[in-house]
Amino acid sequence: MIAVRWISSLALLRVVVVPLQATAQQASSSPTGSVSLEAQVNELDQQIRILQRLRELAADSAAAAAKEKVTPTASAKDGFSLKSADGKYLLRFRGYFQSDGRLFPGTELTGGIDNLLIRRARPIVEATVGRYFDFRLMPDFGGTTPAIFDAYWDGKFAPQFTVRAGKFKPPLGLERLQSATDISFAERGLPTNLVPSRDIGLQLAGDFSEGVFAYQLGIFNGVPDLANGGDDLSNAKDFAARVFVQPFKRGSLQGLGFGLAGSTGFERGSPAATGLPTYRTPGQQSLFRYTSSTTTPANNVFANGERTRLSPQGYFYTGALGLLGEYVVSRNEVTQAGLSAKLEHAAWQAIGSFFLTGEKAGFRSPTPKRPFDLKEGGFGALELVGRYGELSLDPAAFPVYASASSSAQKAKAWGVGVNWHFTRAVKFAVNYEHTTFTGGAAAGDREPENAVITRFQTSF
Amino acid sequence: MKTHAFTLLIAVTAAIPLAGQTPKPATLLNVSYDPTRELYEDFNQQFSAYWKGKTGQEVKIRQSHGGSGKQARSVIDGLQADVVTLALAYDIDQIAEKGGTLPADWQKRLPNNSSPYTSTIVLLVRKGNPKGIRDWGDLANPGVAVITPNPKTSGGARWNYLAAWGWALRQPGGSEASAMEFVRKLYKNVPVLDAGARGATTTFVERGIGDVLIAWENEALLAIKELGPGKFDLVAPSISILAEPPVAVVDKVAGKKGTREVAQAYLEYLYTPAGQEIAARHFYRPRSAAVAEKYAAQFPKITLVTVDEVFGGWAKAHTTHFADGALFDRIYQPGR
Repeated sequence: MIAVRWISSLALLRVVVVPLQATAQQASSSPTGSVSLEAQVNELDQQIRILQRLRELAADSAAAAAKEKVTPTASAKDGFSLKSADGKYLLRFRGYFQSDGRLFPGTELTGGIDNLLIRRARPIVEATVGRYFDFRLMPDFGGTTPAIFDAYWDGKFAPQFTVRAGKFKPPLGLERLQSATDISFAERGLPTNLVPSRDIGLQLAGDFSEGVFAYQLGIFNGVPDLANGGDDLSNAKDFAARVFVQPFKRGSLQGLGFGLAGSTGFERGSPAATGLPTYRTPGQQSLFRYTSSTTTPANNVFANGERTRLSPQGYFYTGALGLLGEYVVSRNEVTQAGLSAKLEHAAWQAIGSFFLTGEKAGFRSPTPKRPFDLKEGGFGALELVGRYGELSLDPAAFPVYASASSSAQKAKAWGVGVNWHFTRAVKFAVNYEHTTFTGGAAAGDREPENAVITRFQTSF
Repeated sequence: MKTHAFTLLIAVTAAIPLAGQTPKPATLLNVSYDPTRELYEDFNQQFSAYWKGKTGQEVKIRQSHGGSGKQARSVIDGLQADVVTLALAYDIDQIAEKGGTLPADWQKRLPNNSSPYTSTIVLLVRKGNPKGIRDWGDLANPGVAVITPNPKTSGGARWNYLAAWGWALRQPGGSEASAMEFVRKLYKNVPVLDAGARGATTTFVERGIGDVLIAWENEALLAIKELGPGKFDLVAPSISILAEPPVAVVDKVAGKKGTREVAQAYLEYLYTPAGQEIAARHFYRPRSAAVAEKYAAQFPKITLVTVDEVFGGWAKAHTTHFADGALFDRIYQPGR
């Protein structure tokens, strides 16, 4: 800036001084001429000073305006945003949309109907208000009934100490904690049946040494497995906690992380509001439900006592390869017509993924090295995925609390798939899932489920 | 009886640890206008010592300076000022009206319309007064470069503008039309319009631009004393305006921060002999007759008119002259 100022001043002086030299030669011959010359020089000196000062003031004004400037941005990673100059205020509009196709080839008796559906349609509004507080609202218009999934505020006081209040994912299942836009398969695996989707509560969280050690600790209303929580059924609350360690965050094994999550609480349901879940196959068909009846609701099974969950979990990402595994055990005390039992269901899965196009695998989807572009010859990223998982229902659930003829005692599922990440914002996925069952049919085992799921996903 | 004894026991027990406690340190933010930096640096130091001696409480005072109107807008927008010490009452009225953080009658809460010191507007010229400037009328002469800040952003600039207008009105045959014509000519001679009074002083004194600076009296005297000894002369115009920079506690902020008492004491201290001395040392005209007499020699004798008597008060002056589309906008159009 100084250099520019000097150059412009010199240029101005050159324009001024050269004609003055000629004038000076003429003026030096008379005393009145030299006075006139001095006046002219003074006048020009003033003009230069004025110009310089005006530039200073313009620069000051520009700097002041920059301080107050609101910056609009648009990107696939962060959506659309408006940000104050000091970064303390931010309004961000994001969202994602998933349009699925589900086919059940060779599954005549218990498979779902082949259909096309809007799986998720979730606009997201996020705001940063002041230095410490964030807010997020995410409804979903993808199901039959619109519902709020996330509605919470965060108080980010330090990396080691943040507070979250509202409705959000309780810190339990690893795949559940992964965003729906980042999961390897179109649908989460069997263990996700045993953890809640969303609950209303208050959570303390933080991490140390840039994520080497992270913790979450919360109190929640308490909701059944797989449920998106709303009002509580009783005064009792659930407590959930999770610790997750990435011991080699800065080394060659930086993609290794493992942890333990658990929750405990009491649930007091009733025959009318049972507080109990229904479990699903990877094709999103019911595979286990507690006994209930619309004709004799008094015989409905309902939650009535302690509910605990425990989940060891971990992942390992190295180069293009990703591995994720989790185990969940969920214990529920249930009652039916004066009978009670403590039932224990368990599930596990292992997922592998590999980017054929060399992208670095991670808990979040990567940006393709060469985003899809017909003109530039970009193809996007191609990812192969595979998984195996099992869900075991407590044998003591049968036949009092669940019908052996309609609910399976065990499910084993394997799946393979291809994810084509056109860009960071656009993905196409096709999965094949094969699930076999123990029990679950009037005579013997339920017919295996073959599900082909396709997904077109846009997110921003 | 048992209950009373128990209550007394609790009260006494609670009072024991409190008795020896020193009060928590307090921090005040004084949002002020441009030329008061040095005044309040000095004043804050003395007040802190006074308050510590009186109450045992440490008090740290932070200062914020800028164009008076701009500062008022910052307070309206949420700047957490415990006290405001601005250039004109209109700016604090705006805080009361738009910010709702102090009552509308704030000016009645302290003596002299909440104005502990006064000042006026004078002319500062280069040593020897090469352009022969003697009074306001000379500022409209061709070839005279006048430095004054922008009345849209600077309280001091409004005083300058009104002082010039007031002088023109009082000339033989003076009218609103002749005053407007005079002020129009004057602003035609302004090559640089700074945002605040301190910026205008920088333009004139440090950048060497212009023949005359229309300035706060305190700013002009300070410039002569410290910024350019032997380089400037003060010209006292025949008529000028009585500037009464007001002060006020911003009740809602002070209440929320628990600084009400110390903020009030801070402003009241301006009226004490010690506070008046400090003001006079920094070339503000003290309200105290005794202190004024002591410092009489440093202030030129000028016939002073008030905003109320010439312009019908600040609200009216603002609407007529400084509101968007009002007289100043018609008089001064950049680039023309």
